[in-house]
Amino acid sequence: MKTLFELVSNAKSKFGDRVFVKEKAGDGVSEKTFGQFCDDAYRVSAFLKDKFGKTIHTATIGPTSYNYLVSHIGSMVGGNTGVPIDALLAPADIAELLDRADVEVLFYDKKFEAAVPVFKEKCPKIKEYVIMTDRSDGDTALGDILDKYRPETPAAPKESDLAAILFTSGTTGKAKGVMLSHGNFMDNVMCCDNESTPDDVLLTVLPIHHVYCFTCDILLSLRYGTCVCVNDSLMKVAQNLKLFAPTIILLVPMIVSTIYKQIKNVSKSMPLIPMKVIAKKAFGGRLKTMYSGGAYLNPELITAYEKMGIKIAQGYGMTECSPRITTGDLSRKSVGDVGTVVKGCEVRIVDGEITVKSPSVMQGYYKDEAETAKTIIDGWLYTGDLGYVDDQNRLFITGRKKNLIILSNGENVSPEELENKFEAASIAQELMVYSEDETLTLELFLGKELYKGKSDEKIHAEIKDKVKKINKELPSSKQIKRIRIRDVEFEKTTSRKIKRTQPVQGEVI
Amino acid sequence: MFEELKELICNYVEVDADKITPDSKFIDDLGFNSFDFMSFLGEVEDKYGIHVNEEEILDLSTVQDAVDYIGKLKG
Repeated sequence: MKTLFELVSNAKSKFGDRVFVKEKAGDGVSEKTFGQFCDDAYRVSAFLKDKFGKTIHTATIGPTSYNYLVSHIGSMVGGNTGVPIDALLAPADIAELLDRADVEVLFYDKKFEAAVPVFKEKCPKIKEYVIMTDRSDGDTALGDILDKYRPETPAAPKESDLAAILFTSGTTGKAKGVMLSHGNFMDNVMCCDNESTPDDVLLTVLPIHHVYCFTCDILLSLRYGTCVCVNDSLMKVAQNLKLFAPTIILLVPMIVSTIYKQIKNVSKSMPLIPMKVIAKKAFGGRLKTMYSGGAYLNPELITAYEKMGIKIAQGYGMTECSPRITTGDLSRKSVGDVGTVVKGCEVRIVDGEITVKSPSVMQGYYKDEAETAKTIIDGWLYTGDLGYVDDQNRLFITGRKKNLIILSNGENVSPEELENKFEAASIAQELMVYSEDETLTLELFLGKELYKGKSDEKIHAEIKDKVKKINKELPSSKQIKRIRIRDVEFEKTTSRKIKRTQPVQGEVI
Repeated sequence: MFEELKELICNYVEVDADKITPDSKFIDDLGFNSFDFMSFLGEVEDKYGIHVNEEEILDLSTVQDAVDYIGKLKG
């Protein structure tokens, strides 16, 4: 299979009458089969062809729903380009992206009705607004489109056709529009085998505009015939796990950690019941595999879940690679790696940086040749992450290139690599490694709990001892030469990460 | 209700229940992450039989804010 069109039509012929999407509707749960989905997607593509007579760019905005998938995928199977938009952005920022991506049709969830006047004012290129409800008094309703159009098989798009533009959220500067072709998506869909079966049930929790969710929750389910249950709100994950009893779930580390805390706490109040039993109930009774991606997952959590009978596979990827670069291998124990490099993907380390060549690598950034040229060099995608691959093709991440400390002797030091070691030694509540006047410095905020009831003298001695032990394992260029203790917490970003750019603080010990 | 919320809060973050005051901020003082907070609100919905409006979540910064909000919804 080389295009999303083939993926969808194959799903219909192979799994036609099986349930593809389950979602809450009123007090019950509504179900749609693979066959219905394929037909509805074809109806959307027929509508666009009828209205425009050529392929165009369409955008979709809203939480995950059957209607969202029909609109977004329906556009793409007909050779149009789908632009999924982050539902949490401010209306003015959304308008800017819609305009920049040359969108001509916007499919929107009812929740965005209030923002539509802003788009109508600021996005002159948009010719048609479709509200994803059954009926509407104003804009065209998706329900009317599905009633009016026949599910005609669209003209098949080519593997090289642009399927989607996805805006990366990037911490600095303007969001970049990652261009992914049908071939990019399909290479990523086919890069692993035997991941799930038609008997599996998946709960989709992550935001649908992220490629990790789109490829791994939705497209893989179309490939394997897996049933996708929609989590309607982040407030309801615990409840929906029980309702849908999934066998597979894809999460990010923050959610993996919160669910663990919840189970641990229930277990505290019921000490006689094994944690495994409590976890089984909390996850609906059938969960076997959890995939984690998007950020680094603490290996302690992998072990903690294993004890509860749940395997976590940690993978690594990025939007620019559709997204999978590695995938977790459940048949072996994690050794601090972020998974095994997937089929068809080559990884090469250049000056410590992970670079990737694969048919999943994007076509470039939309209308931004300068950024594309900086990111893809001679066909290799520069990830910005530092790491290495071992002899068993397992990938290890050591830090971000932009955080790299370059000492005057030319030595490169990744602060995250050192910080992970000190964190594992529970030296302080918060810490950061940086270079101060060419000296590798460890700055600590101790917090109240760690050294409770001990004198300053004793605390300082303990800290120095811990640093000394870790220094011994490090080459001299990476050893900590100065320790500072600050009285107040580090300044953090809105996502609660310690800001790397803040003034040096604290007494040297 | 404050006492009940304190108990729920302790399921998400490791703080002494005695140290939670009405002015404690969920994220800055009690150390909630955003998903902890959403899950906590999900539990609040079930416990009090109310529906939390997602657009109003950002207004709930302290424990007292949550007490007031739940009180308002319960009428």
